[in-house]
Amino acid sequence: MAVFTKESATGQYSLTFNEPKCVGVSIVIPVTERCDDLIEIYRVHKDILNCRGVESEFIFVIDGGFEWEGDRVRALAHKEEFVRVIQLSRPFGEATALAVGFEQAEGDVVVTMPSYFQTIPEGLDTVLNALDQDCDVAIARRWPRHDRWVNKMQNSGFHFVLRWFTGVRFHDLGCGLRGMKKRVTCELQLYGDLHRFIPLLAYQRGFRVREVDVSQHQADQSTRIYKPGVYLRRLLDILTVAFLFKFTKKPLRFFGLIGAGLFFAGFALSSYLAMEKILGISGLADRPMLILGVLLMVLGVQTGSLGLLGEIIIFTHARKMKDYTIEKFLK
Amino acid sequence: MMKNKLPIGLSVVVPIYNEEKSIGLLYTSIRDACEAVPQHYEIIFIDDGSRDNSFSELEALHQKDPHVKVIRFRKNYGQTAAMATGFRAARGDVVVSMDGDLQNDPVDIPRLLAKIDDGYDVVCGWRKARKDKLISRKIPSWIANWIIGKITQVPIHDNGCSLKAYRKKIIKQVSLYSELHRFIPAMSSLAGARITEIVVTHHARQFGVSKYGISRAWKVLSDLFLIKLLTGFVTRPSLWFGLGALCALLVGVGGMLGGMIVGVGGITFLTVAFLFCSLAGHLLVMGILGEVIVETGNYRPSKMIVVQ
Repeated sequence: MAVFTKESATGQYSLTFNEPKCVGVSIVIPVTERCDDLIEIYRVHKDILNCRGVESEFIFVIDGGFEWEGDRVRALAHKEEFVRVIQLSRPFGEATALAVGFEQAEGDVVVTMPSYFQTIPEGLDTVLNALDQDCDVAIARRWPRHDRWVNKMQNSGFHFVLRWFTGVRFHDLGCGLRGMKKRVTCELQLYGDLHRFIPLLAYQRGFRVREVDVSQHQADQSTRIYKPGVYLRRLLDILTVAFLFKFTKKPLRFFGLIGAGLFFAGFALSSYLAMEKILGISGLADRPMLILGVLLMVLGVQTGSLGLLGEIIIFTHARKMKDYTIEKFLK
Repeated sequence: MMKNKLPIGLSVVVPIYNEEKSIGLLYTSIRDACEAVPQHYEIIFIDDGSRDNSFSELEALHQKDPHVKVIRFRKNYGQTAAMATGFRAARGDVVVSMDGDLQNDPVDIPRLLAKIDDGYDVVCGWRKARKDKLISRKIPSWIANWIIGKITQVPIHDNGCSLKAYRKKIIKQVSLYSELHRFIPAMSSLAGARITEIVVTHHARQFGVSKYGISRAWKVLSDLFLIKLLTGFVTRPSLWFGLGALCALLVGVGGMLGGMIVGVGGITFLTVAFLFCSLAGHLLVMGILGEVIVETGNYRPSKMIVVQ
């Protein structure tokens, strides 16, 4: 019997389980932006899963604003077993939709899939095969990629910046087809726009991550140009992740370096002006540049003190934090 | 489970990273040493994400001997994280840490314990006759230890030696992250712990390769200054930030008065003075915030002092 949930105003979920299920693969499909024929997506992938002979469930998480899409899959959910539809009360974004889906998924393997045709359906097979081998997370990479050069350029630009900040090389984090073991989804905390960085976060927590090549779907090859705000947000996302990734335990080294840079820039500027005054080239008082120099020095000290405060937080609270993950404890 | 109910007197914490060949020998020598002491003991191995067969070796030991506990990391997180995890899991009244590469000799464990019984809180091993390369290992180590001793005021000859014994109360309080396991003596001495050292035997490496190189020196030095800074700051953050604020305020007020009395340079000078005053305010707030953070944290030296 299909189970149907809706988020109430209080943010609570009401869930009813009618019978115990035995599910091998949970497919989580967040419907948050672009959206193709969901029934078609369901049908095609269900066929593949049936061919593999695994029990599967489909969880559609419908973001606020896509209610009309939800109505169509809801009809499907009434008809088919193991199809669930979760309707979010307002637009929460993809990361939240995925987190809700992960919470509901019961399979040992959870696969996320975009709500449009991004890769060929056989990609699901490839990802599941990779998971059967020795890895915890398998992400699809659209390769060979027959895309517009604009899309390709945006993609490689994003990954170049990401690699520059974190030192980890991925090729296609924008691909929504990712498979992971249940224990990975239990551990990840997703918020904001972090869904894009699932492989990176999983890698940081010590899971084995693998990229597999999956051909791009014909329908995915339209040119996509976004508003400038979107690009800015992506950059901020990368900065957030880079900070989470590298510096959570070394705030003094991070802020201290920036602070020292600012301070010495300001110091150099101020001393140059002071030198001119001493040499009698020009007076110190009527030089607005002096304000800039001192401002930079002040900013440097402030940044450094923030780093120091951060370090004090880590130092005094380190026993509560764990940045390592224990796989097994034989007592 | 009987074994969990026994009060444990001694925990031996051993980080392991790619040491499949050493483990068997290591285990027997630790066991022999532990059987010689009257307390109940446990041996905690932390497999720091080894890529060889270390874990299956350890698993076999665990099945054979209930004294052996094994923690496996999902990937390699480094010796500090491994030790911190071991210390966290340890239940003994005395915790002994040692390397997993057979260079430390567990035969010294009873002697460490004897020193603890004498009333010391931390007993460090000193590899006086060290069997390592002179240029790349021993000389840098001498220099580093001299600097560490000068800066932290804890005259230990060999901070890098992993073979140490601690009272539980001390080790459960020490803040371990990044690469700080080397500074446990310094950190605990700030808390009023009594520290001593004894000469321990040191063997040349038999199996595997050393995981350290001279590139570590820079890290050690930067950690050293960090620890010096932090241990100063952590006891009285408002004091240090307050001093900084006072300096900034003096410069600011001085500049203002100077500008007004001497009458130099109008608006630029005053602006600069105001900037320094705002810095003073910022630092003052930081100091208060720091005080709040330290108060809510775990690291409170006053709580660590061992009263007998």
